[in-house]
Amino acid sequence: MADALIVVALLLVAASATAAVAQRDPARQALVLSFMGVLLAALFTVLQAPDVGLSQLAVGSALTPLLIMLSVRKVRRRGRARKEPE
Amino acid sequence: MNGWNLAAAVLLGAGGTAALWGVTTGPPARRVIAQNMTTSAVCPALLLLSQGYGRPAYVDLALLLALLGPVGTLVFARLLSDDLSDGPPSARVLTWTAAGAGAAVVLAVCVAVGPGRALVKLLVTGALLIGGNIIASRALADGFQGVRGG
Repeated sequence: MADALIVVALLLVAASATAAVAQRDPARQALVLSFMGVLLAALFTVLQAPDVGLSQLAVGSALTPLLIMLSVRKVRRRGRARKEPE
Repeated sequence: MNGWNLAAAVLLGAGGTAALWGVTTGPPARRVIAQNMTTSAVCPALLLLSQGYGRPAYVDLALLLALLGPVGTLVFARLLSDDLSDGPPSARVLTWTAAGAGAAVVLAVCVAVGPGRALVKLLVTGALLIGGNIIASRALADGFQGVRGG
């Protein structure tokens, strides 16, 4: 019965990781990835590793999505600038 | 398995499943709202877990999530503003439901903890959680007209 929490967290992480891979658009992938980062931190907490969970929270909830979204934005802008002169 | 852990499992399961469904389907506006909802579902669950395991130090995780979750949502609101401009997302009912659930959990844990320094930390976490939730959904609903294109 005490394993129910671990099972819930593991199932959610597995489902969200699969969903992140299944998305086609990088911006939407970043959204699912940020969701997965928060859930991964919850899983680490349930497994009694709150120190790992803290760093996962810091990296997964804000930093990784920010990096991905900034690069998506830059790539889109470059594509637009290359199309315009033609 | 005590009642706190059971409540945390229910909150994590229900909130996580709803947020996962919202974040993987539908238009971008709904996905960002679901991403914002993740914070307001997981943060109270972390508070309940810290009470359930009897480890007050675990409150740090909830504190950090309450601080960084809205920051992540604001990142998306800022960088996805082109996609969000056709239908500005607004979920007033969901926002106030999440704020109410967060307040209820914080109140329950506060009553269990009793007066002391831990209580102050819990109250700070609750204030950050609810305030950040409201600020993030306000930013999503109103958009970033002033800074768009910058």
